[in-house]
This record gives sequence, structure tokens and C-alpha cells, in this order.
Amino acid sequence: MAITLISSRLPSPVPEQAEAGKSVWQRNNCVSCHTLFGHGGYEADDLTHITAQETSEYLVNYLVQPPVMRPNKYTRHPALNEADAENLVNYLEFVHTIPTLGWPPQQEEVEEN
Amino acid sequence: MKLFKRFFFRGKIDKSSARKKQFIAQKISRRYCFSAVSLFALQSVVASLGALELVIPDLPSPIPFEYGRAIHLALAVLWPLIGTMGMVYFFTTAELNREIYSPRLARWQYWVVMFFSLGIFSTLALRIGNGREYLEGIPILYVGICISLILASYNLVRTLMTDKRNITPAAATMTVGVIFLMLLLLPNTITFSNPITDEATKFWVVHLWEEMAFELTSAGFIATYFIVSGLAPRTEVEKWLYLEAVLAVVGGLYGTGHHYYWIGFPAVWLVLGSLVSLVEVIPVGMLVRMTYKGLKSTKIRSNREKLTLWLLLSSVFHHITGASLLGLFLTVPWINLYTHGTYITSGHAHLALFGSLGFAVLAGCYYILSQGSEPTLKGYKGGVLAVILLNSGLIIMSSALLVAGFMETYFWRVLGMDFMQVRFILNPYLSIRALGGAIFTLGDLLLSWRIFKAWQATRSYR
Ligand code: HEM
Ligand code: HEM
Ligand SMILES: [Fe+2]
Repeated sequence: MAITLISSRLPSPVPEQAEAGKSVWQRNNCVSCHTLFGHGGYEADDLTHITAQETSEYLVNYLVQPPVMRPNKYTRHPALNEADAENLVNYLEFVHTIPTLGWPPQQEEVEEN
Repeated sequence: MKLFKRFFFRGKIDKSSARKKQFIAQKISRRYCFSAVSLFALQSVVASLGALELVIPDLPSPIPFEYGRAIHLALAVLWPLIGTMGMVYFFTTAELNREIYSPRLARWQYWVVMFFSLGIFSTLALRIGNGREYLEGIPILYVGICISLILASYNLVRTLMTDKRNITPAAATMTVGVIFLMLLLLPNTITFSNPITDEATKFWVVHLWEEMAFELTSAGFIATYFIVSGLAPRTEVEKWLYLEAVLAVVGGLYGTGHHYYWIGFPAVWLVLGSLVSLVEVIPVGMLVRMTYKGLKSTKIRSNREKLTLWLLLSSVFHHITGASLLGLFLTVPWINLYTHGTYITSGHAHLALFGSLGFAVLAGCYYILSQGSEPTLKGYKGGVLAVILLNSGLIIMSSALLVAGFMETYFWRVLGMDFMQVRFILNPYLSIRALGGAIFTLGDLLLSWRIFKAWQATRSYR
């Protein structure tokens, strides 16, 4: 019981733009292919700390003008409009600030490179 | 033609097994079970198409993968629920040997749960959803599911209360299980802005439904099945049931910790989750013991009881291996650090959710829908073949996923290779998974067909 109460002390409040981004994430069912905290689909990379690896300009651009997904020849990554994409990237930046106790294991090396 | 068919089947009803007292609740439970089995048949068809989509580039599909997967998960959560609702009514009346408090409420509950379940599937097909894994439908529809569970809880509690001196452990266990189902779903109808709260609450359904509430309803069902069909003496079964139930609740509750390792919660969950998960395995051992006792009994069994037993034994087998042993392995934090979020989880999910819970619900549904008719020898053999196909399909599918998962763990998590590069290496294994899925689907359709036949044969007699 006590542990449950301690656990409920979360990093709140969530910034407004990140909250908007969370609803974009949910509306588009991103979790079917990607994972956050390792929970979700297995078709694409985990995005918990993606903002440490790519710039937000790159990410917004990727979402607004999505490329063809290998090994497909035609099927593109789902697209978002500019505002949604910005909110979403803001949400991912917020997710990156959540401490995940050293998961995923290769994270430190990636960040050093 | 139809009339002729019905007439034909009526001839096969075994009169001797039809003598037991019939309750209205048992008649109502048939529609729950029938719907559950139909949804299960639908699920494997949807799933096989999804598995194909992952290995064939540019495969055209009316529903995009994101929503197809969501429908697959919604089905995985809801058909066992609907089947369990029917089983709880059936086996509670069989156990207490009296009618439930209100058959009318049970009928209403059926329409409520079906309306909202179908609502979830169809809105997802129209690409409307809430994007939380396992609970992808829009929240208001889950309120409807909650209402149906409130109706069920109320009805069951009133049933127990009408004769307080006559409450048996099995009936009580099932009622408590249903109340838990309701309480745990309720918070998931709320929208949280914090992703950590969101994840934590989600596992009250993903973990606590499967590893606590359904554990209770299944234990109650298996106990009643053994008692009612005379496979084991009542005292032998009841001696352990309460202890088993208490351990399942304690182990289940804080075992949720094994999903809380990396979601932004404090590190105490690493210790708590892994230690309490050990407790979770004890009731499984007791369940196995109970099943073994039932099996040892030398009573002559009818083919109907034997087919039910095949399904139950499959469930027990996967409960020990794919759910408990593999689950325990994944619970070790140092292992989970590397395996988390890989195909290994998917392998465990299929072995546990279908292998252990799915088979148990199918056993109950088959038993209920075939009451009053003994399968022909051909029907029995078809049923056994279906069980074999389901098991081999499941094992091929999950082994492929586990191998893919271990390679993913090594290349991606240990060596730190690029995700997409690793994903291409896994393609052959995902093809084998699709093949296993096809075998599974075959077994699924065959079993559903046998169950449909049994339903048809016993329909006119009711
Ligand atoms: C009938 C019993 C069980 C069912 C139906 C079941 C079902 C599931 C499902 C569906 C998942 C996937 C969750 C996700 O996608 O995030 C999962 C994950 C997991 N299960 Fe089970 N499970 C069962 C028993 C157990 C037991 C007994 C243990 C341990 C003692 C266990 C340990 C785990 C762990 C550690 C994970 C997380 C894997 C990861 O993502 O890293 N499970 N289980
Ligand atoms: C024909 C048989 C089946 C096939 C081909 C199949 C295929 C799939 C596929 C393609 C996914 C998506 C995984 C991904 O993102 O890569 C999935 C996930 C899942 N399926 Fe199935 N499935 C089948 C049967 C079942 C059954 C009968 C159940 C349970 C009753 C079930 C429960 C699940 C669960 C819980 C997940 C989520 C796994 C996770 O997130 O770890 N599946 N399945
Ligand atoms: Fe769990």
C-alpha cells in the first residue's frame, strides 16, 4: 500500500504541448508498431529516447514528409500535419526526461557517440 | 433441409446425460459461450492476415496494420471475458444446485457486453480508437463493458446471499474473480495525461485480469467441473481452493511489479516485482495437483468429458511452461533488461494468454455447449485433431517468436545493432510464425465447427 502511494509521486504536471502530443500518439495508434518504455508493437524502433538520437527538426520533417518504409516499395510511414508532428515530438521530448533505471541497456553508448 | 437436419441431429442426443436438472442460467450461459467461440474463430483469421502483412511487403489490406493489431488485441481481451461470463453462470448454478438471483439481469448483461464489444471492434475497423495497447477502443465503450461486469457482480453476489449457509468455495472464488474484473477495468475508463499513470493502470487489465481475476474464475470452473462430473471428491478439491485463491490474489497483486521495471517507477518495483512473482507460481502448482487428482480417478469417461479434458490438459501444460516457467525467467530483472520489448515478450504473451487462459475458456465453452449430447466418434476424433492442430500451431508460432526474440535480444540489445537491420534478419522466423498461425487457424476453425455442431445438436432440446 505504502509503495503504491510512493509510486504515485510522478513527474507532474505534464507540459501542455506534450499532453497534446500524447493524444496525437494515441489517435494515430503509433503504439501498434513502436514501443514506449518497451511496451507496444515490435515492427519499429523503441521511441522512449529517440529525441536523444535525432534532432527535433529531423523528426518533424520525417513525420510531415514520411519516406517509404523498407522493404516495401510503395508503402510510406503514416503522415502527420505540421502542428500534430510538432506536438508529438514535444511529447517524445517529455518522455525522454522520464528516468527508466538504465533501460534500454545500450542507451549510454548511443548517447556518447 | 434445415428442418431435416435438425431432426437428424435430435436423434443423436444421449438421453441419459440429459437427465440432470436444468437451470435458466445454464441456458443463458450458452449464448455467452457461443459468442466467445465465434469471436475466437474471427480472431485467428484476423491474426493470420496480420502475420502475413508483416512478411509480405506492400500487401494491400482494407484495414491498416495499426488497427488490425488493435482489433486482434481487443479480441484477445474480450472473447475470454465473454466466455468466462457464461462459464461463471453455468458453473455457479451447477455448484450451488440452484438458480441464479436474476436470469433476466443475465440476459441484459449479455446484450450490454456484446453491444459494447462489437462497438469496440467496429470503431477500430473504422480507424477510431484511443491508442493504448490492449485497450485500443475509445474509453466510453469500456464503460459499457464495466456496466456489464457490475451487473454480473451484483447478480452473483445476490445469488450467493440468498442462501448464506450454502456458499461453496468454488462459487465464492468465481464471484470474487468477477468482482475483481470489474474493479480493475474501472480506472481504465479514465483518461490520464501522464504516460506513467497510463502505463501503470493499463497493467491492471493486462496483468491483473489475466494473472489474478481469470486465475480465480478458472480455478473455480475447474474445481466445479471435477466435482460435478464426479472426477474428484468434493472434499479433496475444496481443501486447497481457498489457499490457492489467496495465494493467487497476493502473488497477482504485487506481481504486477514485473511490468513496472522500466516505466519511470522507483526501483523498489524491481525487487518487489521479482520476489512476489515467485509467489504467483505456487497456485499454478496447486492447480496442477488438483487436475492430476481428477485424472487419476478411474471413472469411465464419456467422449464429451474426454474432449473437455484434452482442452483442459492443454491449458495446464501451457500454464506450467509458457506462462509460469518462461514468465519467471523473464521476471529476473537482469534478464528482463535485455529481453524487454522484444519478440520474446510476444512469444510469452501467446503461450500464456491463449495457451493457458484461452484453452481453459474453450474447455468450459465446449463443455457447456455440448451438454445433453454425446459427440459421435467422428466428431470426437475431429475435436481431438483440432486440439492437436491448435497446440502444434501455437508451439510452432511461439517457438519462432522466441527464437526471433533471442536473436533480437542479442543483436539489438546486447551488441547494439541498428533496429531495422536486425528486423530484416528476423524475417525468416516471422514467416515460420505465419505458417504456425495458419496451422493454428485451421485447428481453430475445426474446433469452432465441432462446437457449432454440438450447439446445433443441443439447441432444439432446450
Ligand atoms: C496465465 C498466466 C499469464 C498470462 C495470461 C500472461 C500474459 C502476459 C502478457 C499478455 C504479457 C505481455 C505484456 C506486454 O505486451 O507488455 C506478459 C508479459 C510478462 N509476463 Fe506474463 N502472463 C502470465 C503468467 C506470467 C507469470 C506466472 C509470470 C512470472 C512469474 C509472468 C511474467 C511476465 C513478465 C516478466 C512479462 C514482461 C515481459 C516484458 O515485456 O519484458 N507472466 N504476460
Ligand atoms: C492464428 C493465430 C495468431 C496469429 C498468427 C497471431 C499473430 C499476432 C501478431 C502478428 C501480433 C502482433 C505482434 C507484433 O506487433 O509484431 C500479435 C500480437 C498479440 N497476440 Fe496474436 N496471433 C494469433 C493468435 C492469438 C491468440 C489466440 C491470442 C490470445 C487469445 C493472441 C494474443 C496476442 C497478444 C496478447 C498480442 C500482443 C503481444 C505483445 O504485445 O507482447 N494471439 N499476434
Ligand atoms: Fe504479468
